[in-house]
Amino acid sequence: MQHLEHHHTNSWWALLLREAQLVAKDHSLLLTLLIAPLLYAFFYGSIYSNKAEEQVPIDIVDNDQTGLSHTYIQELRNTQMVQIRALVPFETAQENMYKGITQGYLLIEKGLEKKVMSLQGSKVVLVLNAARFLPSSDLLQNITTVTLTVGAGVRLQYNQKQGMSSDISMREVAPVSVDYHPLFNPGSNYGTFLIPGLLALILQQTLLIGLSGGVAAERQHGRIKDWINTANGNVSTAIWGKGLFYFILFGIYGYFFMNVNYRVLGFSVLGNGLELGAMILLFILTLIPMGIFIGSLFRSQLLCTQVMAFSTYPVFLVTGYTWPLQELPAPLQVISALLPTTPFINLYTAIVQQGAGINDRLPSLVHLCALWVMYSFVCIWWLRRIRERDSHVKLAVGA
Amino acid sequence: MIRSVLNICTREWKRILTRPDHYIVLILMPPLLFIFYALIYQNQKAYDLPVVIWDEDHSALSRQLTFMLEQTESIHITGQVNGMEELKTLMQKGKISGAVHFPARMERDIKSRHPVTIPVFTNASALVPGKLIYSDASTVLITAASGVILQKFQKLGMTEAKAMALVMPIQLDTYRLYNPAYNYQQYLVPGLITVALQMMIIMVSVLAINTEWNEGSMQELHGLSNGSAGNIILGKTLAHLGISWINFILVVGILFPYFNLSRSGHHLELFILFNFLSLACTGIGFMISVLAQDTMLAADVGLFYTSPAFVFSGFTFPRWAMPWYDQYYAQLMPYTSFLDGFFQVYFMGLPLSYAGIYMLKMSLFIGFTYFIAVFFLQQRFKKQLAYAAS
Repeated sequence: MQHLEHHHTNSWWALLLREAQLVAKDHSLLLTLLIAPLLYAFFYGSIYSNKAEEQVPIDIVDNDQTGLSHTYIQELRNTQMVQIRALVPFETAQENMYKGITQGYLLIEKGLEKKVMSLQGSKVVLVLNAARFLPSSDLLQNITTVTLTVGAGVRLQYNQKQGMSSDISMREVAPVSVDYHPLFNPGSNYGTFLIPGLLALILQQTLLIGLSGGVAAERQHGRIKDWINTANGNVSTAIWGKGLFYFILFGIYGYFFMNVNYRVLGFSVLGNGLELGAMILLFILTLIPMGIFIGSLFRSQLLCTQVMAFSTYPVFLVTGYTWPLQELPAPLQVISALLPTTPFINLYTAIVQQGAGINDRLPSLVHLCALWVMYSFVCIWWLRRIRERDSHVKLAVGA
Repeated sequence: MIRSVLNICTREWKRILTRPDHYIVLILMPPLLFIFYALIYQNQKAYDLPVVIWDEDHSALSRQLTFMLEQTESIHITGQVNGMEELKTLMQKGKISGAVHFPARMERDIKSRHPVTIPVFTNASALVPGKLIYSDASTVLITAASGVILQKFQKLGMTEAKAMALVMPIQLDTYRLYNPAYNYQQYLVPGLITVALQMMIIMVSVLAINTEWNEGSMQELHGLSNGSAGNIILGKTLAHLGISWINFILVVGILFPYFNLSRSGHHLELFILFNFLSLACTGIGFMISVLAQDTMLAADVGLFYTSPAFVFSGFTFPRWAMPWYDQYYAQLMPYTSFLDGFFQVYFMGLPLSYAGIYMLKMSLFIGFTYFIAVFFLQQRFKKQLAYAAS
């Protein structure tokens, strides 16, 4: 019994060493597994280091040129989001938007102040380039708020002219107001929203591309038999022995991302760090058999890397992170459910961004565990089939 | 020369159609991937997001507002909560995306001229649902507030027109051009497709030259080209350009009309712009392929270079909000220039002249990369000849 256990430990150790040697010899794997995760994490993360956009450029066509229009423009200048590039004629404003110099323009009609003072309806026209969502929606939100504020100021003056005390007129100005509380991302920042998911995706994709590429290389160079023989013929040991290298490596990356990268980018984990660590390790454990299975479908490392390279965006887009899951068509919801990223992202964002615990997302934990079991069985079954097929081919060639 | 180039072009087409690392990426993957992208956003907008009401007022007004909120596109009232903790817990469990709180004495305070604040909560860690809920909720509540002010002024004997002018002294008329309904399919899918196309072109063209050396077929190619690196690069370019035209037809002729993503006219302008992207990407791929003998290394360089193109291009997060060094890096990818031109030609329907500067930038990529590819390939031929002669 003791001898068997010793033998078992030896094969795990041998597999771990074998994998380390294979990776060290293959510069493609070295790049993907050792350099890409760190480089990508800093590289992509830096894009969103300012977290939110500010100073979205617009032009103003001020056809009124009165005290009220100047006050209105000054209020717009006071916001962080709106950058008034220039006061220009209409044609220039339009041309600047066409050229991409501005994201829109505001047209203040002639006679604005006069109409406001004489209680006639007055209009300001905001033209936005909505081809890009973020700048146009941020502009719209901020300019709407400023317009309502200036409108409230007009009402305040009117009330005071009617003889109301300043206290009462202040109360009358805005009897109902909306107070926005964006929870778990107080500034509704794009960077705060995206960076945690991006780091998880980098962890996943570099692991999957590297591991599946490595397994495809094993098939391409006819090393599957050698790999399983190192595990004394036990396919399960072969999978987890190989996977141990990736488990350790990507466990370290996970720890690094959640500590160093988060700190550099000014993030903090709101939930329990231990729970987060446990979920990351479970995620890596699920990705390992999945990556080995995918890699073993290919006989060419190059083709495997090419195909996996195109999986990044589709995987990210169907996990419910950027687009609600319930809005996906039913077949895509099935695909989404088969990806470990979907339950992991659900758990991970809850812990990292919302301060939730695993208990709050138990269905996702069960989902992730089920995928781990499923991919483990699929991978064992498939590798056994490959081994049997290879031995039949050899027998046939021998005969 | 023409015959030589045409022979190389025909030979390259055969290679593309017979090598899995070429035809899977260039022929099989585009329709699958592009349909997948289009299907993700088939609903175009997010509807009926789960929102709860925290009603401490229990008045006719709070019920009326709840009814109005339910009528919006994005909000679906799924229940009631009784406090902040319950609200937060439901968000943490992922059961709700937002909440609206009607404070106690709301209706009475409004009637007795005490200002009332209505808090709207969203789970902003998911940005799309959060923004949609806030937008719809604030529209409903501001409209309701305007109604309250309007009634007050009318009670004072003001005409409706004058009262309206005081309720909304400055009326903001908004024109959201090019995608007025904020349709996610129309916004994201063309961008995702074009970024995938540039990636496909580069990921295959990085294999165009080095595989010939590695697989021993360069001698045959050298013979076909009459020893001219220029003929080889030109012949292969024509073949890859031809395939990219097929993909252009697939996208603009089939997928865009099928998924209602077509914009009026401007197909020719778009085609011209797309050719600049194709040539720039093919040039980059060929340059890498000439310089990197190892195919896996070339593929890794191609992958590393192309995969960040989408985020650096400023499609979803504007470039001006990025740190200065990232803004410079973005300019090192032809997709960035293409995207700027694509916005003008495809989304905004402007004449091609507006994209002139971006075509010029892509021309710089084309000139530089093709020069490097031809020069170093010719140098290598010279070395081989010198080696053979010695």
